[in-house]
Amino acid sequence: MNNVSLGGIPSSYLPEPSSLGGAEGSEGLDFGAVLKNAVQGVDQLNKGAGAQVNNLLQGGGGDMTSVMIAVEKADVSFQLMMQVRNKIVNAYQDIEKMQF
Amino acid sequence: MGIFDMMSISASALSAERQRAEVISANMANAETTHTDSGGPYVRKEVIFGATGGSMFHSVINGLGRFSQAPAGSVQLTQVVDDPTPPVMHYEPGNPDADASGFVAYPAVNPVKEMADLMGSVRAYQLNASAVSAEKQIVQESISILKPS
Amino acid sequence: MATPPTLDALQGYLKVVTERQQMIVSNMANVDTPGYHTKDIDFQTAMRQVMDGNDSVRMEPASMELQGLPERPDGNNVNIDRESLMLSQTQLQFQLGVQLVKREFNNALTAIKEGS
Repeated sequence: MNNVSLGGIPSSYLPEPSSLGGAEGSEGLDFGAVLKNAVQGVDQLNKGAGAQVNNLLQGGGGDMTSVMIAVEKADVSFQLMMQVRNKIVNAYQDIEKMQF
Repeated sequence: MGIFDMMSISASALSAERQRAEVISANMANAETTHTDSGGPYVRKEVIFGATGGSMFHSVINGLGRFSQAPAGSVQLTQVVDDPTPPVMHYEPGNPDADASGFVAYPAVNPVKEMADLMGSVRAYQLNASAVSAEKQIVQESISILKPS
Repeated sequence: MATPPTLDALQGYLKVVTERQQMIVSNMANVDTPGYHTKDIDFQTAMRQVMDGNDSVRMEPASMELQGLPERPDGNNVNIDRESLMLSQTQLQFQLGVQLVKREFNNALTAIKEGS
């Protein structure tokens, strides 16, 4: 199991990359694939939460508390992903500035 | 089973208890009614409570869909029945409603008993009203999960 | 030091508490129904069911009839005082659960923001 942890944030908020598409057998991680999976994971959380909210709004006798928790989870995942994105962009810019 | 089911259950109880109070009040108001449109004295009425709603099993299956019936645990007044107790006879020969022997038939209403029933009804109503407050609080607490604390 | 319960465990806890509250509300509604017996949830069993992760079709989630309550002449054994007390208890339990959930999210958000 890949434990992508940033500053000790429990990795449960960063959806696990279920497969590393194309990087099997290579020594390192295919970072692009990791990112793509992470984004898809967050998107999934979002869609799931959205579906639950819809269900709740239409009066399906849903469990309101679970819906709230799902929504918050999706939001937190999203924020985490944004931070990861920022870090990656910064790192890339730092590398760009390097002169050889 | 959701929070809204709970409110529906409590609402059914509030409604039933209120109807019961109405019946009791009618009894008390007519405690001295010796003459009604259908002839004879007022007949005391009683209410019968019954649990309604589907079984818990149905609730789980219907979980994602809409409820077409009351959630399990609801209550309602299944019947309002006449009290079969015979009327109380008082000897009042001067009363226009007196029968041949001078007796007047009064409704078999005991004001003390009716009052006690009414207090029981009020207490049950308050109990279920407090349940509604608790349910509202649950909703608010749930919503607060989304607010930054 | 014990590790704090995870979000899933808390979610399960809140679910069980809500179901218990539903029982109590039903009891209160049926305080005048002849023959009605007080129902409650066996907390331990319910929590175990939830922790094991099987919350698909659960027929009667560890609900049970409470023993030892005196019956009135019409067969009803609902005790108003007990139900009021239990209602307050479940409310507090629910608040506890929600506070812990919020704390979990807050911790995560703080960790995320601190890193920037």
